[in-house]
Amino acid sequence: MSASKRRYVIIGGGAAGMAATTAIREQDRLGSIVVISEEQDMPYFRPMIPFLISGKKAEADMALAGRGPYQAEGIHIRTGVRVIRVEPEAHQVYVTGGEKVPYDKLLIASGSLPNIPADIKGVEAEGVFALRTLDDARKAALRAKKGGHVIMLGGGMLNLKTAFSLLERGLDVSLVVHSPQVLSQLMEPEDAALIRKALDMAGLKILTGCNAERIISDKDGVTSVALTNGMEIPCRMVFIGKGVLPNVDFLSNGPVHIDHGVVVNQYTATNVPDIHAAGDVAATFDPATGKMIVAGLWTNAVEMGRCAGNNMAGNVTRYGGAFGIQNATQVADVPFVSMGVVHTKGNDFETHTAESYGSYRRLVFSPDGTRLAGAVFVRDISRAGLYRFLIREAMDIGRIKAQIIDHKLHYGHFVCSPLAKGG
Amino acid sequence: MPGPREIFVRIDRCMGCHSCELACAVEHSKNKSLYNAISEHPQPKKRIYVERADTQACVPVLCRHCEEAPCMHACICGAISRNKEGVVLTDSGKCIGCWTCVMVCPYGVIGRHLETHKSYRCDRCPDRDIPACVDACPTHALIYHTVEDFSQGVRKDTARQMTAGQGG
Ligand SMILES: Cc1cc2nc3c(=O)[nH]c(=O)nc-3n(C[C@H](O)[C@H](O)[C@H](O)COP(=O)(O)OP(=O)(O)OC[C@H]3O[C@@H](n4cnc5c(N)ncnc54)[C@H](O)[C@@H]3O)c2cc1C
Repeated sequence: MSASKRRYVIIGGGAAGMAATTAIREQDRLGSIVVISEEQDMPYFRPMIPFLISGKKAEADMALAGRGPYQAEGIHIRTGVRVIRVEPEAHQVYVTGGEKVPYDKLLIASGSLPNIPADIKGVEAEGVFALRTLDDARKAALRAKKGGHVIMLGGGMLNLKTAFSLLERGLDVSLVVHSPQVLSQLMEPEDAALIRKALDMAGLKILTGCNAERIISDKDGVTSVALTNGMEIPCRMVFIGKGVLPNVDFLSNGPVHIDHGVVVNQYTATNVPDIHAAGDVAATFDPATGKMIVAGLWTNAVEMGRCAGNNMAGNVTRYGGAFGIQNATQVADVPFVSMGVVHTKGNDFETHTAESYGSYRRLVFSPDGTRLAGAVFVRDISRAGLYRFLIREAMDIGRIKAQIIDHKLHYGHFVCSPLAKGG
Repeated sequence: MPGPREIFVRIDRCMGCHSCELACAVEHSKNKSLYNAISEHPQPKKRIYVERADTQACVPVLCRHCEEAPCMHACICGAISRNKEGVVLTDSGKCIGCWTCVMVCPYGVIGRHLETHKSYRCDRCPDRDIPACVDACPTHALIYHTVEDFSQGVRKDTARQMTAGQGG
């Protein structure tokens, strides 16, 4: 293999795949980089697709190449091509149409797919969506034009964002949540109270503690949803937002080790030589909890993709792990951030909660109180990044603990007061 | 070839007068005059923060335009990019106000403009030769230099202090 003209092949043109291409290009100006993407569309900012439904942004505003850090040149993107299998002995991937694409370094960045719970019947009906791709959003936007009632199954970020894009279009939206409160993955029910209030005020109807049993449809598509509590609610559209699963099907029966996601080491390498993995498809570890996780977040996917790209191009870079929880957003005009360990019921983390002037915060410390483990900020999210840094580095917080609890921390504290205890 | 200039902070010189903050906000107003800036909508915002860490020390904190800028890579809509001079810029036309950059900035220097629902940060004053904060600083706690010049200056300062300490 001539080092001057390495062949890099990337499976998936999402956040991880495209971040890898920029990192590779920064290291290797000559190597060939081919991105194989199953979607027909050129890479785009996936988190923006709800704006296509609300009409706030056009498709062109979501294109990824040439925006932000995605400025790398000489990247060959092949859209509408699916990798059917990876053949490591021959160092090639086998794609739709029977072509074989050779590689020196391969990145698996195939992302994730919506989780469609098997116990909901009738999901094939027209008008049932699990929003993941730009094309899904196009179809949803088209159907939304006809108006009517929409039922969202699941109370996570994806569904909340989508719910608002539909509300903004003037549709009636109801959210059906299994948990006692919305956003249960990202915070405890008490933390979500302020957000819940704002959602209610914004006109989102929320039914907690129940599930969908069956989606009922006729020749024009979905007509209603039957819930586990016996209710049947008429609707014209259903959105399923029940999390995602790593997209690993095409790797089954192959040598790449899979445990839920593609298992990688600290250098983003799989068990197979010259094959790396990054993004939603990868199983990695969470420094906040030490557990293996599949993260499902843009921020993680980019960071891991960059790291993988560096490693593939020979610039050895250690991956610091992915936060299972690190979300920032704004719904119903309420900004919030949730990071690190936020579920503290039944364990001995030290927590501090405060509510004032319509803002809410909860700081979670290690049981011995010396490290920040997690944080939830609602409305006042200023300088959240400092707290994230402390969580990520598991730093001994020594003298700045009071400032952390009061949400008064600023960078000056890092410069002036030595962090170590007693410093 | 010397690299592009950057804003450096000499903490020991900061008296906490906040002149830099005022100058920054005025520079980022429509009319660039203090008098008009006060009544402008959306309200002009400062992008430098003079923080008091204890009773003694003041620290001006501002965007470092990090080499591996976490905000730029984390941005979920491609609104943050780096220009040829190495300045990391937020394009407010593209910003969707998701605050992901606020969540990942380890310096805590990305602001949220509540009226416009956009994030903002230091842009190193593209219309000026010397950034407004640097120009306004009466004690030269803020200086605008290339990395090479700054470290040379620091070396000279240290040498001076050492010789002074020796009574020389
Ligand atoms: C509506 C929405 C909003 C979101 N909002 C946020 C947010 O605010 N913050 C946040 O952090 N995250 C958010 N996310 C999650 C974020 O988009 C994902 O975590 C991120 O896209 C993961 O990137 P990835 O590159 O790992 O995978 P993906 O973006 O899923 O890309 C993988 C690509 O690989 C392709 N592919 C898969 N298999 C093959 C194959 N065999 N051959 C060829 N191509 C293949 C897929 O078609 C896909 O295009 C959101 C997601 C959605 C859907």
